[in-house]
Amino acid sequence: MRVKDQHTNKAGLGRREFLGGTAALGLGASGLFGSKSALAQSTKTGTVRVWGEPGPYGGVGVAAMNEWAQKNAPGLKFEIETIPWDNVYVKLMTDLAAKRPPSLISVESPIAMQMMAEGLLLPVDDLVEKIGRNRLVDGVKWDYWGNWKGKQYVIPAHHQPHLLLVRMDIVKELGLKDPDTWDWNDLLNAAKTISEKKQGMAGFCMALGRNLCTDYHFAALLHSAGGRMYDPSNKYEVMFDSPQTVEALNFVKELRPYMPKGAVEYSFLQVVDAHVTGQTAMSFYWGRTLGRAAEEAKPVFEATEAFNHAKHPKTGRRNNWNDFQGWCIPAQNNPFIEEVKQALVYQQTSKEWLIKYCHSLMPNVAPTYKDIADAPELKNHPFYQSKSKTVDTYFKASLAHSSSTANELLQGPNPLAGYVHGRSILAQTVQKVVIDNMKPEDAAKWGARELEAIRKENARLLG
Amino acid sequence: MRRLHALLSSDRAVGLLFIAPFVVTAIVFMVYPVVEAIRMAFYSYNPLRPDLSAFVGIANFEFLFSDPLFWDSLWQATVWTLLSILFQTILGVGIAMLLHRALFGMAFFRGLLLFPYIVPTVVIALIWRWIFNPEIGVVNYSLLASGIIREPVYWLSTPTMAMASTIMLNVWKYTPFVVICVLARLQTVPLELYDAAKVDGAGFIRRFIDVTLPQLREVLIVVIVFRTIWTFNKFEEIYLLTKGGPGTSTFNLAVYSFEQSMASLRLGVGAATGVVMMIMLLIGSIVYLRITKFGEEVR
Amino acid sequence: MLTRKQLWRAARDALLYVSLCTVTFIVCFPLIWALSTSLKPKSEIFATPPTLVPRTLTFENYEALLTGRQQYYHSGPQTAPSGPTPAQFFTRWFVNSVIVTAGSTLISIVISTLAAYSLTRFRYWGRSVVPYFSLLGYMVPSIIFVFPLFLMMVRLELTDSLWSLIFGYVSITLPFCMWLMWAFMRSIPIEIEEAALIDGASRYQVFRQVVLPTALPGIIAASIFAMIVSWNDYLFGRVFINSLDNLTLTVGVMLFFEGTHVDWGLLMAASVLMTVPMAILFMALQRHLVAGFGAGAVKG
Repeated sequence: MRVKDQHTNKAGLGRREFLGGTAALGLGASGLFGSKSALAQSTKTGTVRVWGEPGPYGGVGVAAMNEWAQKNAPGLKFEIETIPWDNVYVKLMTDLAAKRPPSLISVESPIAMQMMAEGLLLPVDDLVEKIGRNRLVDGVKWDYWGNWKGKQYVIPAHHQPHLLLVRMDIVKELGLKDPDTWDWNDLLNAAKTISEKKQGMAGFCMALGRNLCTDYHFAALLHSAGGRMYDPSNKYEVMFDSPQTVEALNFVKELRPYMPKGAVEYSFLQVVDAHVTGQTAMSFYWGRTLGRAAEEAKPVFEATEAFNHAKHPKTGRRNNWNDFQGWCIPAQNNPFIEEVKQALVYQQTSKEWLIKYCHSLMPNVAPTYKDIADAPELKNHPFYQSKSKTVDTYFKASLAHSSSTANELLQGPNPLAGYVHGRSILAQTVQKVVIDNMKPEDAAKWGARELEAIRKENARLLG
Repeated sequence: MRRLHALLSSDRAVGLLFIAPFVVTAIVFMVYPVVEAIRMAFYSYNPLRPDLSAFVGIANFEFLFSDPLFWDSLWQATVWTLLSILFQTILGVGIAMLLHRALFGMAFFRGLLLFPYIVPTVVIALIWRWIFNPEIGVVNYSLLASGIIREPVYWLSTPTMAMASTIMLNVWKYTPFVVICVLARLQTVPLELYDAAKVDGAGFIRRFIDVTLPQLREVLIVVIVFRTIWTFNKFEEIYLLTKGGPGTSTFNLAVYSFEQSMASLRLGVGAATGVVMMIMLLIGSIVYLRITKFGEEVR
Repeated sequence: MLTRKQLWRAARDALLYVSLCTVTFIVCFPLIWALSTSLKPKSEIFATPPTLVPRTLTFENYEALLTGRQQYYHSGPQTAPSGPTPAQFFTRWFVNSVIVTAGSTLISIVISTLAAYSLTRFRYWGRSVVPYFSLLGYMVPSIIFVFPLFLMMVRLELTDSLWSLIFGYVSITLPFCMWLMWAFMRSIPIEIEEAALIDGASRYQVFRQVVLPTALPGIIAASIFAMIVSWNDYLFGRVFINSLDNLTLTVGVMLFFEGTHVDWGLLMAASVLMTVPMAILFMALQRHLVAGFGAGAVKG
């Protein structure tokens, strides 16, 4: 990344704020900035590094920014670096420590919140106004993505819950109930029935490896049971050593015999593989599984539907883990702050680009703005015809059950979650039970100790 | 100018001039980082917040010694090292004996058998994950098809099998090292020794034990010490194949140090682990020097 | 008519060849299988029973890597560019790997040759300590000093540049190049040089015209090992480099493996291509390799 001209262009902001107001109406905001704003062009040249998840949507987001650059900063090229989830922490550490952060990051909320609390991100309240503060879909708030001490640090890219994917052909064949009505016991029974009756097929699959995917899958069970890692209302006291944690661990242990044998090393990739190749009839996953099945295994795609997670028998909760994925801007050593801000607003106010973004991997990335979620153009995708209920569950119905490790049970942001995932504490707790045969009570105690260590080491973030 | 020339052509000056680049490079890129690693072992250091780094005395070591995972890693590293070395030595000597024949085409075999040594670890790890894939891998397919196993083997999913797989990888890659060293030595064994043994009526096995092994003793000790030191501290072979999993069952100290530094953002603890590794290495090196009587040779 | 002894010998040789072939096959199988996978179309890669010799031969995986074919996701009516995929960077990473390997090897060899000459031909304080130091140096695993070295690169503002890797690899390869060159130089008789010196040649002439040619086999052996180590390294590349443009092959190829989709054909083709340069080197210079092992100075 070479910056040949450090001259920063700050002209034209007044006009842009006015336009932002128009965009807030969410009507035909597409291309507004590019075409009408009479900005002096940015004269910087170079490559603007952007981090994104593996998947096409980051590429689409960057394509929108490049469209902005063509008109407003011809010397710049935005380039997406897709960071595999399990590499995020290594990449984060080396790039930030090397003082060569990307100029823009698209990342799930635990990491965004960790960075924001560390003071590594730029506040973006000015952008929120331009993009439109009142555009968010019902059931979410700005702080789900990243708000700290009254300032917004993250702009929503999408929301993305993992749900229960079920092969309905198998459910019908075996005469099982409608998965929408299941509680944990029904899920367990279904997994058992399928494993016993279907040769060579596991009943259920979730990730159990020492990785991020397991953290996220287990978090949904923990939250459904009513358990939590920390209590943000009480100085982030550790709540993990609880009957709820034990219950969730026990449930994983009970499900274990009906999962593929290799599940103890599964991460994102292998869970998708297991479902797409028909090794399992049910799995926890984000919408990506359907996208891959549509490409590689049509019958699996046609038979698979997504449901909100099975109810916890006592609490009745059906929590998912929602990756409130947002764009954030590193504050230090970032030579393209102004350009990135403008390009981001351009992308976020372009209806056409936002719909393209969602369409690029249906139904994995859900729209965050009402005007996009309700746009007729969004329905202009074959999945909306063949799988309208599943798509709607991912996009809308899941929100009532959303939770995240960075905002547990939606009771307040938690910047410690990034550290928890960096060290795979939840996954390791699960592995203590499923690999080492530790008693769930002891595993919960172990996890609680690790969480307490994180809290102590990072007390500075919480003050 | 003439003076300078005179100085340069004086023996001593030329000698110092020639050694200077080495000394400078060694100090900057070898001594300094190691000293710095030792210093860091006494500091807390979060790479995201270097401004907060502080002297913590021996807290990092206390953390290490009270962390069960550290002890697990140490134990697992020991198991993985001992088994790797055992198999490498046995196979290495065996293959070297096979290759030590003046038969047609031997150079061809020799070339192929030494090949794994140069294959990048990344490549081996990827190939390993491909051929040992429990569902679609060719190894399980062949074993199932030939009736050796009835159920697919989960090569990387149970602690025991994962350890076995990493050992296999290590043995596969580094046995050539042993082969080359042993072969080089075998070629210097005087043939008369064998002839004498034959005259005495010793069979193949007797000849191996009475003649070959004593001749190989020295080179084997050197090879074993070297390989032990390196194998104990291997990082890539394990990290790229299993990332230390499943669970933490294939962690060794190198993986532990990396994970503490990177994933847990505790560079100080990672460095302290490095210091422990260095101490063990020093012991190993002293053993090596003793055995080879290195000091006595130096003129 | 064969005598019993000849028969016995023929049988023994046959047995020997059979066991050699078996061992060789087992040793080479992973590589053969990788090659075979890389030459198959997608449908055949997952076929049961698997085929060792591809039924349909295809070079599409190699083509994708060498031409940097853009990949697309198909989602409904729209095809979205996937963003840069590892395949698009393959040739660039290859060149990077060549640069850092050549650069670090050159530096290590020059420095160690000069130093070894100095150590074995001149007398000064500390000259007997240096080989000890090198010996210790090449036993130190890189994991111990990778982070301090990284933080040093940060201060020098060298991270994310190929220089960081060149210097990094010098720090790993220099100790054993030094050790090997020292062992080699020591075994070259000093008398020829003395004769040349007496004949009025200068030190430099002697070094260039007498010492270097004699030391060539040692230099070659040390270079091969230095190249293998630099080419194969993963850790330094992983830590020092930030942008896709500056990655080396080992780190780049691991990126093929992550995400939610693995293209095994492409991955195996990449594996084959990154093994080839070392394989050629190895074949061409194999006998020098043995000389290097003989000196007992090999990192691995």
